[in-house]
Amino acid sequence: MRQVWIVMRREYLERVKTKGFILSTIALPVLMVGLIGLSAFLGVQSERSQRELAVIDYTGLIGEEVAGRLAAFGYEMEVVGADVGQEELDRQIMEDELEGYLVIDDLTLTEGVFAYRGKDRPGSLRRNLFERFVVQTALDRHLSALEDGASVRALIEGGQLDFESVVEETDGEDAEVNRITGIVTGFGGAFLLYFTMLLYGAYVLRSVLDEKRNRVVEVVISSISPWRLLLGKVLGVGSMGLTQLGIWFASAAVLAMFGVPFVVAQLQATGLEDVLQFLPGPGVIALLGTYFVLGYFLYASMFAAVGAMCSSEEEAQQAQFPVMMLLIVPFVLQMATIEGSGFAWMDWVALFPYFSPVMMFPRAAAGAVPWWMVASSLVLMALALVGTAWVAGRIYRVGILMQGKRPTLRELVRWVKTA
Amino acid sequence: MTELAVRLAGVTKKFGTHTAVSNFDLEIPRGTIVGLLGPNGSGKTTMIRMIMAILLPDRGTVELFGGFPDFARRSRVGYLPEERGVYEKMKVLEQLVFLGELRGLARREAQSRAGQWLERLELSEWSGKKIQELSKGMQQKVQFIGTVLHDPDMLILDEPFSGLDPINQEVLEAIVREERERGKTILFSTHLMEQAERLCERVCLISRSHKVLDGDLKKLKRRERSGAVAVEFQGDAGWLTRLGIHDIEVVDDAHHIPVTNRVGHDSILAAAVREGVTLRRFEVLEPTLREIFVRHAGEQSEEPAMAAMGGAR
Repeated sequence: MRQVWIVMRREYLERVKTKGFILSTIALPVLMVGLIGLSAFLGVQSERSQRELAVIDYTGLIGEEVAGRLAAFGYEMEVVGADVGQEELDRQIMEDELEGYLVIDDLTLTEGVFAYRGKDRPGSLRRNLFERFVVQTALDRHLSALEDGASVRALIEGGQLDFESVVEETDGEDAEVNRITGIVTGFGGAFLLYFTMLLYGAYVLRSVLDEKRNRVVEVVISSISPWRLLLGKVLGVGSMGLTQLGIWFASAAVLAMFGVPFVVAQLQATGLEDVLQFLPGPGVIALLGTYFVLGYFLYASMFAAVGAMCSSEEEAQQAQFPVMMLLIVPFVLQMATIEGSGFAWMDWVALFPYFSPVMMFPRAAAGAVPWWMVASSLVLMALALVGTAWVAGRIYRVGILMQGKRPTLRELVRWVKTA
Repeated sequence: MTELAVRLAGVTKKFGTHTAVSNFDLEIPRGTIVGLLGPNGSGKTTMIRMIMAILLPDRGTVELFGGFPDFARRSRVGYLPEERGVYEKMKVLEQLVFLGELRGLARREAQSRAGQWLERLELSEWSGKKIQELSKGMQQKVQFIGTVLHDPDMLILDEPFSGLDPINQEVLEAIVREERERGKTILFSTHLMEQAERLCERVCLISRSHKVLDGDLKKLKRRERSGAVAVEFQGDAGWLTRLGIHDIEVVDDAHHIPVTNRVGHDSILAAAVREGVTLRRFEVLEPTLREIFVRHAGEQSEEPAMAAMGGAR
């Protein structure tokens, strides 16, 4: 066991110390969190600092109402009539006494067209507000003249579909939230599993291939059995993967706990709970971890076998194709049935152990399959892992010391038999 | 406990249609320095790889320390492969400590030993550098340290001196001799005859997958003596011609008299005394390893063998 530990530690440290790892693991999330935070912060700040606006109202009908609504949103508003010329307002803008002003005329009332004059083009946030408030005010004016204005407004603002289950309702709104959370988590998790197994599998392949190519393995193998070497290697790359995932998750959590409330608070909306309730619970994350560990070992052993049977990068590119297909096929299938339901037979396909991480996890997270199916997929994966590791280990054992051209399928079978 | 470190019996290894090692027998006693000699492509590396169980023979048996080269036996060997197997991106000291630990040394012990070796081979200042930043020769020295670090019973070195400058070759040779003094068995392959001659107690000459000769180097040389004589003296060589010797080669002030002259050693000596010649040296010549090799391998393979050796010098 000490030898496995030594190999694992080397593999882990050598990977974690590389610039590539530090860059992709730490710099990337920090940069992303930073960029998102910064742009949100700057957006809010600039919106705050430029809040002196005017409305010039040629109709004399809705100007006050529009100004009132904008004022409620924190702007300093001033309404001027047609007697004050636009030249005067333009001058104020040039002298920085005013940020900008809205021009409302008859066309605004009939078609909702209005103008904003200022030095800078309004940001999307501000533009949205202006459009919403001006059009709403104009609409209100028309509706208030109608007898059944209220119902017209209701229809304009969109109807609502109520789902009534014929099965006994459990707990209403919570169930709906859980369902959405499950789908989102499932999809994100499936993508993460797909991506990491591909990435870390490739690391294992590269590591095996490099050792074989520069013949280090011949020296090392005189001191350690191939099984231990392979195990140490896979564990080392795996722990590097867990470290990376841990850092990513932690930064995502930081973003969710501080970033989201910050943005929400700044925008004066009340959706904080709405956002946070969609975060996955610990149970789902534990399940994700289980699928990751099993899936990683399954694919790492296959990638290791591929690395052991090749002698060059180019060969490995070709030889890893079948293994990659085992990952890509379920991913494509999963994309086709994002909600994890609809095609009942797909649930059975998801039981295929090599497909399970990408296909069964999202189903489990969305609660789309019964628990026993999830359990069986885990058991099947464990069994597949034992078998795959057995075959891959034998290929590895023979392959790492073989030079020359890639073995044919028949030779591979012989390796497995004789090893 | 057997006295043999390595025993090969009837070993044959083929790669496709090419026979790399053919029906090979070899016995290496413990505590000697053995040179495996032959031109490139003669099967030296294949043999070493079979001893290390990296390759398995198609026929015959390979024994290491009296049994199949399994894991426990292999771990008593320090093995230096021909291709320089190093983790290029690792730092020098870290790599050595890794190898030492893998072979059962405690971390501290591995560190201190690696430090001592690095100092001895004048690599101390490089210990924190990545291996890929080192020159080929330095990488080779690092790898050599990796081979001896865990103090194995036997060293198997595949072309350990190639690519090293003469000074470093001597340093390595000294270490090999030292290890021998400490009771280690050393097997190394080389295509440099002169070096093997300096270092080896036993040799095994290989040509085209076959064993040409093997055994104790001194005995081999005695057995291979042709009877040629080297004579050094003051004055001209007239007395030799008067004796009826015409076919004389002059090498470094000495007159070499080949056996073809059919003149006995005694009559040469007697003539020298009779003619009052002042002799400085009179020696029955021992053949060089190169000469022995050519004499035996030349019959079947002189051209390619010599070409390969000449080219590699």
